[in-house]
Amino acid sequence: MKILIIEDEYALYESIFAYFTGDGNICEYAPNFDIASEKIELYSYDCILLDLGLPGGEGLDLLSQLKKSNKKDGVLIISARHSLDDRLSGLDLGADDYLVKPFHLSELKARVTAIVRRKNFDGDNVICFNEIKVDISAMKIIVNDKPVILTKKEFDLLVYFLSNKNKVVTKNAMAEHLWGDEMDMSDDFDFIYTHVKNLKKKLAEAGAKDYIKSVYGIGYKFIAT
Amino acid sequence: MKLSTQYNRVNILISSIILIITGVIYYFFIHLILTNKLDKDLAVEEEEIRQYTNTYQKLPLPVSYLDQQVSYSNLPVNSNNIREFSNTSYLNQKENEQEPGRTLVTTVNLNNKNIQVTITKSRVESEDLVRVILLITLGVTVILLVSLFLINRFVLSRLWMPFYNTLKRIKSFEVTKMEAVNGDPTKIDEFIELNQSVDAMANRVKQDYRELKSFTDNASHEMMTPLAVINSKLDSLLQTEPFTAQQGALLEDIYQATGRLSRLHQSLLLLAKIENNLIMDSQEIDLKNLVESKVRQFQELFERSGLATEVKLSNKTVIMSRYLADIVLNNLFSNAVRHNLQGGKIVIELSDTGLVISNTGKNFNEKDRLFDRFSKSNESEGMGLGLAITKQVCILYGYHITYSQMNDMHQFSIFFNPED
Repeated sequence: MKILIIEDEYALYESIFAYFTGDGNICEYAPNFDIASEKIELYSYDCILLDLGLPGGEGLDLLSQLKKSNKKDGVLIISARHSLDDRLSGLDLGADDYLVKPFHLSELKARVTAIVRRKNFDGDNVICFNEIKVDISAMKIIVNDKPVILTKKEFDLLVYFLSNKNKVVTKNAMAEHLWGDEMDMSDDFDFIYTHVKNLKKKLAEAGAKDYIKSVYGIGYKFIAT
Repeated sequence: MKLSTQYNRVNILISSIILIITGVIYYFFIHLILTNKLDKDLAVEEEEIRQYTNTYQKLPLPVSYLDQQVSYSNLPVNSNNIREFSNTSYLNQKENEQEPGRTLVTTVNLNNKNIQVTITKSRVESEDLVRVILLITLGVTVILLVSLFLINRFVLSRLWMPFYNTLKRIKSFEVTKMEAVNGDPTKIDEFIELNQSVDAMANRVKQDYRELKSFTDNASHEMMTPLAVINSKLDSLLQTEPFTAQQGALLEDIYQATGRLSRLHQSLLLLAKIENNLIMDSQEIDLKNLVESKVRQFQELFERSGLATEVKLSNKTVIMSRYLADIVLNNLFSNAVRHNLQGGKIVIELSDTGLVISNTGKNFNEKDRLFDRFSKSNESEGMGLGLAITKQVCILYGYHITYSQMNDMHQFSIFFNPED
């Protein structure tokens, strides 16, 4: 994936860059409005991470610029402004998703992957990983050519893991992904344990390898190598 | 008591007292003057009788006119001369009734005999005069009082009109509304000054509010950014395995604390936003539908705690922000789960009048502070902001939320039309 990170906070860019590049992705960096505007004009990206509060201009204007030049880049807004108006106007202007700071890098990766997948595979939205095939639009899992029945949460978890291969994903991030941060049950991780256990069991029964490892009680890691 | 009422009361009381005193003094003086005049008439009459007696050496005939009677009687030889006026009553022969009169009793000397002369004059006319004067005075008094009252009533209330308008403006003043509020034009200096002061104050308050608001916005943005950096660095740090078990435990603690901090921050911002009425996306919401989907969403949590649910929903739509409706339901539902007993019960009832969520649970003490910020029971994992936010949302939309405990059921009720 080719990704443009428009973000004035360098430390944050570094983390995102480090998290994304390991996977064969290319990341470019725009620390302010003018550079961002120029890059958007000159190149095409699979996904643009757009911070709304930028030095030199309003992030939403970049969105309008993108639409004006008829570009099909995916856009994910990342903003500290937890404002409904911003969210709505951002989505109205054609952003694909909206993520509020602070966020988990795993969540960011999952969302970016989802956006890019939607853009690239029109209609045929399938992730293949070794013996596991995930049909996103039909919500079906096939392992070794045999269908596996998963619950909605287990399905979401698997897709989440596949977007964050070889990364340690915290239970915090998983809870927020599955239940949303507003449910405020994220201090209670027994659910995660149960869901991961069931997912591992079902995959193992279908003959898949045991990819999901627990990491120090903090979270899990989907080991792809 | 209104200012004009108070003023009226004093004004009318004092005016009445002065007018009454004036009336009394008036009455007495006129009475005195009229009596003096009668006495003079009587003295003239006496003088005539005396001259007649001196000239003709006999008494004039004891005549009696309509309003004057003269009578004589003999006195003992050595009696003293007397001369005195008095108020009497006499018989008016023509009309055959007793009438008030003024009498002069005097003596004349005729042929060395003392003869007592009694002259009586009617007082009826002077009494009538006094009465007419009194009535006129009273009439004037009444007219004066009534006109004073009317003036106070109508002119004063019109004079005070600008004041009440200003008062109304102050009452309806809302700091979040940015439009200027102008007073009615008035010619009265005091009210002009009042209006100017009110306007100046309103502007100052608005200015302060704007500054505070932009400070909050900026502060939130500035705080969120480092928090986002911490979070992302933690995520990056986590990828640099392997760790020892001890490091893993430390990392988990840091994760928990960061998560709490950002949730706390978001809740506080949300609370501030609701209080300042900055959430605009009011729309018609099918509450039955929303509650049903919320029940589905929480199903897993219910099952894990072994909670029996009882859901009774009827159709109800409300006008509110979907986002806030979601938050309110989330808060109430999570509370009902979090403070429940293992194997307890949750009852959710939605009717046209309100939404009632009751759950089994332990007793707790801080019932009065339930809706306060940061009030929570010791074992609660929450931040103590959920119910504060819920209450603010209810206030925003004019709903009423109450807590009550029946047996071991804790019950939260939201009434959509508290006035009914």
